[in-house]
Amino acid sequence: MTRFEELFLPHLKAAYNLARWLTDNDSAAQDVVQESAFRAVKFLHRFDGGNPKAWFLTIVRNESYNWLKAAARQGAVAFDEACGEDEPALADGRTPEWQLIQGQEAAQLQQALLALAPVFREVIVLKELEDMPYKDIAKIVDIPLGTVMSRLARARSMLRQQLQKSRP
Amino acid sequence: MIHAIDCKTCRAWLHGYLDNELETNAAAEVAEHLHHCAECAGEYADARRLVAQLKAHLPYHQAPAGLARRLRASIEAPASPPAGLLQRWLGPGGRRWLAPGFSTLALTLSLVLYLAAPSAERPWLDEAVSSHVRSLMVDHLNDVVSSDRHTVKPWFTGKLDFAPPVFDFSQQGYVLLGGRLDYLQQQSTAALTYGHGRHLINLFILPTADADAAAQNLSLRGYNLVAWRRNHLRFILVSDLEQGELAALGQLIQKDL
Repeated sequence: MTRFEELFLPHLKAAYNLARWLTDNDSAAQDVVQESAFRAVKFLHRFDGGNPKAWFLTIVRNESYNWLKAAARQGAVAFDEACGEDEPALADGRTPEWQLIQGQEAAQLQQALLALAPVFREVIVLKELEDMPYKDIAKIVDIPLGTVMSRLARARSMLRQQLQKSRP
Repeated sequence: MIHAIDCKTCRAWLHGYLDNELETNAAAEVAEHLHHCAECAGEYADARRLVAQLKAHLPYHQAPAGLARRLRASIEAPASPPAGLLQRWLGPGGRRWLAPGFSTLALTLSLVLYLAAPSAERPWLDEAVSSHVRSLMVDHLNDVVSSDRHTVKPWFTGKLDFAPPVFDFSQQGYVLLGGRLDYLQQQSTAALTYGHGRHLINLFILPTADADAAAQNLSLRGYNLVAWRRNHLRFILVSDLEQGELAALGQLIQKDL
């Protein structure tokens, strides 16, 4: 087993989940993970021996933003909206069948979170889905530790407003 | 002496308090404030409700089945450069030991245990970690999928020359997911899988001629392990679960043996 495999493949699921939430697009998320893996291998010598998951997700996050910027340039997706309504992978996620399977609750939460800008969406994904400590989130998102707390506070409050909108 | 904080400070710290990220003093001040201020307490309850809802229902996007395979095929990673000796011992998760929350004593103790681990054990532990990683990577976690130990245990009959004890600790939060046949050091091994939150745990069980040995908590290549021998069976728990929680599962199993 190569060093890359043992360090980063275990975090593939987290990598895909983060990329998918940020790009809101299945094939883009797969591309982002693939590109991130290449970069992780290429820059393996820079890995400081700390938390491999945080290191890998830092790359995945940057690559996701690169994709969003490129998509925005092409006019396919507004950078801060990342809607891409015409993507089949995305459309699947909103069919009534999917809602039935995942439950009304999940569909509402998904919609509300996607309405948030990526900088707020990512802290929610890293905290609530990956259960990461603030220090790892600070590293991945590249903000000071104290800002993690205030950004999470804002993200959660915006999310609550979104949910209230969808449940009149 | 706790001095009172105002609502503004309380709101600023509320989410750190909720996430258990505040220092003891600050956490105590928030708790004190919430005790007296109904408005902030309401805000806190709302935030808590939202977090609980998110943790329970927010979809986790599962990576497509073939992604890991495609990635491995496309990346021909160069051989790993030799790591520093200490780094090698501690593994990539070594630093985590230095994180606050672990007392110096625990650190010293686990280091001593680790370094004192007879080198004969090392290949088993190494292979257990590799097998754990592989089981997550290749989407081959279980041959028999069941949370019922009366389904899982008989499944091994005829496949192994020993009867692995199968436990269910779903009451304690460690849910049996299933089992599979695995090999460690070319020996047939029972691998039981457990889920705890979002963490997966592999428990390897195989016969050994060696004498009983008390449980050791170790960290290897970023994973935590608990290994012991009892009644001529070798037990190895592997997970990315926090060491304390993994050790707790180890204790539950040993109590039932």
